[in-house]
Amino acid sequence: MENAWIIPLFPLISFLFLLLFGRRLKENSGYVGMALTFLSLIYSLVVLFDRFNHPTYKAEATWLAIGDVQLTAGFEVNQLNALMLVIVSLVSFLVHTYSKGYMHGDDRFHIFYAYLGLFTFAMLGLVVSPNLLQTYIFWELVGVGSFLLIGFYFYKEEAKAAAKKAFIMTRIGDVGLLIGMILLFWQVGSFEYDAIFLAVEEGAISAGIITLTAILIFIGAVGKSGQFPLHTWLPDAMEGPTPVSALIHAATMVAAGVYLVAALFPLFTASETALMTVAVIGAFTAIFAASIGLVQTDIKRVLAYSTVSQLGYMMLALGSAGYVAGVFHLMTHAFFKALLFLAAGSVIHAVHTQNIEEMGGLWKKLRLTGPLFLIGTLAISGVPLFSGFFSKDEILIAAWTNGNPVLFWLAVIAAFFTAFYMFRLFFMVFTGQSRSEMKNVHESPKVMTVPMIVLGVLAVVAGYFNTPWFGTFLGDWLVEGNEALGHGHTEGPAWIMIVATLVSLLGIFLAWLMYGKKSLQRDWLSSRMPITYNMLYNKYYLDEFYALSVVKTTKGLSVLLSYIEAFVVEGIVKGVAGIVHGLGKTGSKIQSGQVQAYGTVAFVGLAVLVVVYVLAGGYLK
Amino acid sequence: MSFLSILVFSPLLGILVLALLPKTQESLIKLVGFLATLPALVLALVAFGTKDLTKYDVVKEWIHFGSDPSLFSIDYELGLNGFSLILVVLTAVVSTLAAIASIHIKKEWKGYFMLFLLLEIGMLGVFAAQNLVLFFIFFEITMIPMFFLIGKWGYFEKEKAAYSYLIYNGLGSAILLIVIMVLFARTGTANINDLMQLMAVEGANTPSPISESLKMGLAIALLIAFGVKLPIFPLHTWMLRVHVQAPPSVVMIHSGILLKIGAFGLIRFGFGIFPEQFKTLAILLAILGVVNLLYGAFLAFIQTDFKMVLAYSSISHMGIVLIGLGALNEAGIQGAIFQVVSHGLISALLFFLVGVFYERFQTSTIANLGGMAKGMPLASGFLLAGALASLGLPGMSGFVSEFMAFLGLFEAHPVVAAIGCIGIIMTAVYLLRAVLGMTYGKAGREFLGITDIKSVEFVPVLVLLALIVLIGVYPSVLSEPLQATLETIMLGLGG
Repeated sequence: MENAWIIPLFPLISFLFLLLFGRRLKENSGYVGMALTFLSLIYSLVVLFDRFNHPTYKAEATWLAIGDVQLTAGFEVNQLNALMLVIVSLVSFLVHTYSKGYMHGDDRFHIFYAYLGLFTFAMLGLVVSPNLLQTYIFWELVGVGSFLLIGFYFYKEEAKAAAKKAFIMTRIGDVGLLIGMILLFWQVGSFEYDAIFLAVEEGAISAGIITLTAILIFIGAVGKSGQFPLHTWLPDAMEGPTPVSALIHAATMVAAGVYLVAALFPLFTASETALMTVAVIGAFTAIFAASIGLVQTDIKRVLAYSTVSQLGYMMLALGSAGYVAGVFHLMTHAFFKALLFLAAGSVIHAVHTQNIEEMGGLWKKLRLTGPLFLIGTLAISGVPLFSGFFSKDEILIAAWTNGNPVLFWLAVIAAFFTAFYMFRLFFMVFTGQSRSEMKNVHESPKVMTVPMIVLGVLAVVAGYFNTPWFGTFLGDWLVEGNEALGHGHTEGPAWIMIVATLVSLLGIFLAWLMYGKKSLQRDWLSSRMPITYNMLYNKYYLDEFYALSVVKTTKGLSVLLSYIEAFVVEGIVKGVAGIVHGLGKTGSKIQSGQVQAYGTVAFVGLAVLVVVYVLAGGYLK
Repeated sequence: MSFLSILVFSPLLGILVLALLPKTQESLIKLVGFLATLPALVLALVAFGTKDLTKYDVVKEWIHFGSDPSLFSIDYELGLNGFSLILVVLTAVVSTLAAIASIHIKKEWKGYFMLFLLLEIGMLGVFAAQNLVLFFIFFEITMIPMFFLIGKWGYFEKEKAAYSYLIYNGLGSAILLIVIMVLFARTGTANINDLMQLMAVEGANTPSPISESLKMGLAIALLIAFGVKLPIFPLHTWMLRVHVQAPPSVVMIHSGILLKIGAFGLIRFGFGIFPEQFKTLAILLAILGVVNLLYGAFLAFIQTDFKMVLAYSSISHMGIVLIGLGALNEAGIQGAIFQVVSHGLISALLFFLVGVFYERFQTSTIANLGGMAKGMPLASGFLLAGALASLGLPGMSGFVSEFMAFLGLFEAHPVVAAIGCIGIIMTAVYLLRAVLGMTYGKAGREFLGITDIKSVEFVPVLVLLALIVLIGVYPSVLSEPLQATLETIMLGLGG
């Protein structure tokens, strides 16, 4: 554990090495990236097992001195960090492997792997940070990695717009985090997590400041984790290559916001209002995004809205004081959502379209991808025995026991939506008529299917680390030695599990009726409620609203200022120039060549100087 | 001759050699011009490696007025402290790199390089001068070569830009001269350290040589004089013209170093000699800083010429310096100083790249440059890296300075700071708009015969990027030499 700092360094080496020599290595760059992330993975596993038997380890050194204040940099291995290390390095390694097949033939292959290395470095650095400042530093670097990868196909206008949007939307959130962090610093005198928790515990910070800083920091999480109202960048981010969507926009970076709230959990629990904010935003995002997902036709966008929705679930869990539930769902979601994206990538790889209207009947052609996609779909829908079932159940229990029935029922409805749109996706892609133009559909190569199989296994078994049936190992371990985090498992009424199961089965059944058996008309919604349908299809017109309000205002203000610049400021300039010019003119007029006039001026000047000298009494000693 | 004198005047050797060369020998002139910047660079780095800076102090009797030998003498005094040392190093580095960037100069190389080297002497002298009169002389030395460099080697409206430069800076230095003369006449000394002490010990047993209201007047006059240079809104329009009209190698110097004299003067003379007055003015500085930051950012957002984007970006980034100074605490002032260095490096990098693009496409209009990454992937990558540094990406120098300045201001004036944070978002908005507009998207042109960044052009880019990353990753490289200077300033401000 003492050497855990080395884990993020492997991908950093990969990034630098490939930037310098990647061009010569061509597609062999993939092996460099894979080997180095594999080392990270091995080391992360070692650290995780080490952490089972040893207490938290932390090491720091001075990074920057400001007067007497020493800002430090270092690393910390606690339960949450150790778990995150494994999740991140595992998904990253699998995506590195998968990309070897998916990106095959791209002439910027090595750049892709270099960027993957940069992102993985930043993400691993983020999850071992022992203080807020360092978290913020890696937080921003993660954002840049995401930005570069979204804009990987830089020549596409959509990719350019998406990359820019992602960077700016998340930066709006980041500023919230920055302000919250600085305000906390001036209260606590340190960025250290430990120092902050200690100050909160001792009551050294006023309740108002705790609420304010917690909410400001949460704004950062809202930006990164695609929560309402800053979520609009995440669906657009699907312009990036699909493995990137799996790594960054499903499993790791977007979960960073959830991680941040979890890492600062004792701060949040100190303020009812802050927790409530987190829960409400989370629940609203969960149902809001799920409702949009019902009608989208791009396979990746459906998955993107589902990610937004699931992240909302995690926030709801944390906001309902369900620390374990939130972190648990983060883990299971990382596996099944990465699986779904990779499987979607495999489908896109085979049929060269992302429009699900143009797909169908792929079950027979993609004999591996199909079942794996089904596993992911079952897991996310919360079907019993799959991982998502257990973690979603924990969240619902947390929401119920925290005594907020409205949020609980919102989450239940969102679960119904999720099951419905995920199976709508499944049936439309894999069942029904096979398209005639898709004759040459092949299953993806092994290098792509093997990572999917690994994730498929995890999507099933990851739930059993923490079940009410066999034991809540994960939960107990996560909260061990820290009472502020709550209990490892909260007992909830048994009917919650039954309701959750029924709701998801109902969603699946409805999807089957409409898209599988087709006994219900597909245009049932669009024909009956065209306004609702259009609103959902156009994502509640939020992008249009932002374009009209924020973007227009900014442009307008800029134009207004440019008028001020052109007329007011330049006007002053002209005035100054005019004065200088006038003085010059006057001066040249005085130079008339008349010696008497010069003499007069010189005499008057001398007289004035003498008078001033006498009155002022010379200089003071 | 002493170490510092050699350091400051070493470019003179190059001027002498150039004077003897025939003016048609293009490559030889360029080589000599480049080589002449090296001694100063080497010596500056040597000084940077030394612990005890006082051993470099030079004092020679020079001019004397009146009968009292202890008063009214203006000596030739050079010396360094942590802050001025860092700026001397910055000057030497950027000058050498700008000399390399001068390969793109198309005519009258001999005259160009002689003026260029004279400019370097002026800049080195400004930072090394230990008394106000000497400072002023060097300050003026920078102005004359700059005027000709803009007016002769610039673009279409170069004359207008040069005159605009001269008028504004002339007014600024006239005000500065008045301040210096009043101080000299009232106290009998122009030595900066003496002045600092004299102002600090007032009240106790010696009556202050200058009344409180006059001090305030002088402090405000200093703020205006250096405010023109920085520049502070609304004194900035001259600097836009210079940025757009001067050749990129000259703008590297101008934006990289000359603007920093404004910040240097405010910190060294403003905070050094008039600490009490600047304490009163602090809130004004903070507000001016936020105005600069936002005004520059919003205007940069709608510019069509990349050079204009960078010009407004400079105004915006100089706002960070004011924000840091307005905070009046260690974090803020250290942030301001970091910003001076960081922006010097970043703007030098970005303007060098402007030169690289201009050399190939004869335009810097964003709309004419779409999709560059297709034809010039390396140059585009460096441009993006420069933009990320400029918008304050952690791991690069811009973040450290911005972070410290805001950290400081949030302690002093949280509301002003919170408004300023809009600038952090806007910086990302306008830089990405401009840089992605140039490099991403569909290429609107063919890249036949266009070479990517090559051979000697790599040197400035890689050196500047390395320094930017070094400061970003290991900021102690600057903060340690600054320690003593910062303590002195904080002592003057009363802890």
